Amino acid sequence: MASVSPAWLYQDGGLRSMDSVDGVVAKRLYFNNLKISFAGSFPASVWKFKVGITSPLKRSPLLPCIKCENSDKDGSFEHVSVERAPYHSYMDSTSGQLEPASGARASIPGQDYWPEGTASRVRAARAPEPTGISTGVSSFGKNPGSRRKKYKSSPSATYESSETNVVVNDPVEAETPDDASEEPKDLLSEYVVYQTEPEKEELTGYELDKKLGRPHPFVDPKAKKPIEEPLTSEELWWNWRKPDKEQWSRWQRRRPDVETVFLKAMAETGEVTLYGDHPTMTECSLYRARRHIYKEERLQAEQEKLEKIGPMAYYSEWVKAWKRDTSREAVQKHFEETGEDENTQLIEMFMHQTDREYRIMMGTDIRIRRDPLAMRMREDQIKQIWGGDPVYPTVNYIQDPNEVIDYRGPDFHEPTPNMLPYLKEHGKIISREELEKILAKEKTEELELTDMDEAMAQAVDIGENDDEGEDSEVDGDNEEKITRNWSVLKSNPELQKSKGKPKKNNMSLDEAIDDSENITDFLLDFEEDE
Amino acid sequence: MAQLWKNLQQQPKCNTRNRPIRSPKAALATDEETSADLSFPLFQPSSLPQHTPASKLELADPDFYKIGYVRSMRAYGIEFREGSDGFGVYASKDVEPLRRARVIMEIPLELMLTISQKLPWMFFPDIIPLGHPIFDIINSTNPEKDWDLRLACLLLQAFDCKDNFWQLYGDFLPSADECSSLLLATEEDLLELQDQNLASTMREQQKRALEFWEKNWHSAVPLKIKRLAQEPERFIWALSMAQSRCINKQIRIGALVQDANMLVPYADMLNHSFQPNCFFHWRFKDRMLEVMINAGQRIRKGDEMTVNYMVGQKNNFFMQRYGFSSPVNPWDVIHFSGSTQIHLNSFLSVFNISGLPEEYYHNSKLSNDGDSFVDGAVIAAARTLPTWSDGDIPPIPSMERKAVKELQEECQQMLAEFPTTAGQDQQILEAMPEARRTLEAAVKYRLHRKLFIEKIIQALDIYQERILF
Repeated sequence: MASVSPAWLYQDGGLRSMDSVDGVVAKRLYFNNLKISFAGSFPASVWKFKVGITSPLKRSPLLPCIKCENSDKDGSFEHVSVERAPYHSYMDSTSGQLEPASGARASIPGQDYWPEGTASRVRAARAPEPTGISTGVSSFGKNPGSRRKKYKSSPSATYESSETNVVVNDPVEAETPDDASEEPKDLLSEYVVYQTEPEKEELTGYELDKKLGRPHPFVDPKAKKPIEEPLTSEELWWNWRKPDKEQWSRWQRRRPDVETVFLKAMAETGEVTLYGDHPTMTECSLYRARRHIYKEERLQAEQEKLEKIGPMAYYSEWVKAWKRDTSREAVQKHFEETGEDENTQLIEMFMHQTDREYRIMMGTDIRIRRDPLAMRMREDQIKQIWGGDPVYPTVNYIQDPNEVIDYRGPDFHEPTPNMLPYLKEHGKIISREELEKILAKEKTEELELTDMDEAMAQAVDIGENDDEGEDSEVDGDNEEKITRNWSVLKSNPELQKSKGKPKKNNMSLDEAIDDSENITDFLLDFEEDE
Repeated sequence: MAQLWKNLQQQPKCNTRNRPIRSPKAALATDEETSADLSFPLFQPSSLPQHTPASKLELADPDFYKIGYVRSMRAYGIEFREGSDGFGVYASKDVEPLRRARVIMEIPLELMLTISQKLPWMFFPDIIPLGHPIFDIINSTNPEKDWDLRLACLLLQAFDCKDNFWQLYGDFLPSADECSSLLLATEEDLLELQDQNLASTMREQQKRALEFWEKNWHSAVPLKIKRLAQEPERFIWALSMAQSRCINKQIRIGALVQDANMLVPYADMLNHSFQPNCFFHWRFKDRMLEVMINAGQRIRKGDEMTVNYMVGQKNNFFMQRYGFSSPVNPWDVIHFSGSTQIHLNSFLSVFNISGLPEEYYHNSKLSNDGDSFVDGAVIAAARTLPTWSDGDIPPIPSMERKAVKELQEECQQMLAEFPTTAGQDQQILEAMPEARRTLEAAVKYRLHRKLFIEKIIQALDIYQERILF
């Protein structure tokens, strides 16, 4: 069956390239479109008949040549074929040398680097095999010189001399393979006889037919085995397809090919019998070849029809309004009468064509139901080959602009409407007043520390540790002096009292703290005294 | 016998060659009675040769190379062709002169038949089964002198071994009537040699071979031996093969270095030349005998590949061992009696021969192009003529001329001693195109000798002319 997509491409390409109805030039594009349209519009019987005409035995597909109306200007057309151009090597642009198509290998070093003896072996292997068939046959040591060409007639026949006349090497009779008659005495002494002629075998039946070239079945009926039931894919021993389950992603599975999917679809609908579940490479290529050949045949049939009935008659099929006679003679007569050649008449005919007919002729009418297999395939099969819609590949991607999208998923929770009391409840937030309270508490704690220092300041180092020595004592004294001198107030409590008293008017400590602006109020101002 | 010698006269000094050669059609084979043009170039007008030597010959049977190819023997850029004189190896494409010697043939050890020259005799490959009586025969031979008998036995054994390569290759060896080795010659042929020494030597050789056969192939010997050589002729043929096609090389197998006598399948189809293109090389890594083109040697398509069979031997040696001779053997010797001598240096300079006495060669850079007179015969003359050379003492022309005249007279005398003249010999050869090979070879031998002497006379003439300058 035909594949649809290349036909579509051709259709589009064809539309644009056809600027004038000098598309009398029978383009292949027409044929592609025609077969698609025919498949829908014409009954299958017509096609079968037409296909049957081209004898099924003739399997030589001719590449449809693009033939010009005037055959003078031909030869400049490209023969486009569906198949990939097979090449095994190409001129690489990067290296500038001939490269193999399938993965390059390191270059083979030249003769200078070959190991010893390789050159002679290579030369011996490259030497051409001798052609030519010899007419003589070997005597296997019995007749030396028997296969030489004799330029002089044997003198032994004319000249008789016992010494030179060697019976064994009689050249005149050397040709005859019958040595026994020449040397009767040898028969007695040489009792070992070598068989020179092979036995003849009798062939009968199939083998005889085969040997004689008579029509015979392909396989010897005696040796023929009955066709067994096709095995499933798992049973087939050559099915080394890897299972999908072991791959951790579906992307790792084997990509289906066009032919594979088509074949599988056809097998599902029953058009084709496969030998297993999945089509093999052989079946795919067979299908592909068959499809190609069918297409070729149909193109050929179309071409022949065009050639047979002429373009006017051919294209009038799609111009219903053209009622005139379109046979070749009529065209010729019209030409003679009016001087309009075939092209002009075609133009006039196409003037009467409707848009619908035009679309049908070009094969782009979407309103006509086509029924190639591609239409019948399941959606997942189609998607395997051609992929889905590029814009909306899956259902999920289709968007309604007015839609309110709910992003919530299964583990999506509702957001809390009142954050503040929620946080307050859980103790994450406190109010400003509480904060200030806490901060205030933190201030009083600082004062307690100073009392502690007083006690430390009044302590005297006894010098318990004798190990330290003079330096440490001096240091210790210095440190003590420093610690003491750190706060004059603390080292001199009488000073503190004397200063603090005049300011303090029999107030309690707390009142005094509250009354003070900051701590510095409690610092004595020495400069005023002195 | 393979095509025996390559005539120097056909080597190009100035002659151009047309390329490419036409492919020889099968019809050429029947026209090849005119092989005289290959054999007797002296009597040809020395015009430009139209084709390469290869174009006249037919390609050998394709099975010839195929049986070797299947067993991993390789031939690169050469083809085997067959003519009326036998097989030859010809280049199938041009070769540029390279720095390194090029391999044209490589033959693995498994195809060869090799015996070490000294005790203990080792065979590579070892086709003699344990306890086979042929080994006793081989053991009974003289270690120093009877190497050819051993090889012959080995060859016959190889013909008998199942699936041995030599069973297939033997079909391409020259049969007894194609072989021109004098071992197979009759008394008549030996008389035609017109050389008593050589004839007696050959008679001795034949006797020796026959005795050996009779000793070891008497009627009571087991069938295993008997069927190797049912008749003495077969043995003598094998012996002639062994003598003419043997390659003596020092080879290294594994860690052992030894002198070996080898019968090598395809390398023995190379013909001999006194100015060879190729040489043999033993590659010990994979035990292959390589036939390599000399470094710096330019080869054209259709050139014949040649090897020097034996360096520094006279024609009679070649005749005795290989069954051919050459008129341009630079090592040929003529014994001059008398004390007349000519000045060596002026003789050499007249003919532009340079090099040490062992390696005289024609220096073509000094000579003008077109001088094709100097060939191996003149070089042999330079070696064999009685000469004197005394520092800077110049030759006196009159004395030189006198000496030359005397030497020429002596040569004429020698020629007169022969029953026939060169021309008559030539006619005899043309008159019997279907002669036996041995007869033909014998006649050619004496012809070449006479030609050599005639060439010396000519050379002396030229020397006389050019002596004054």
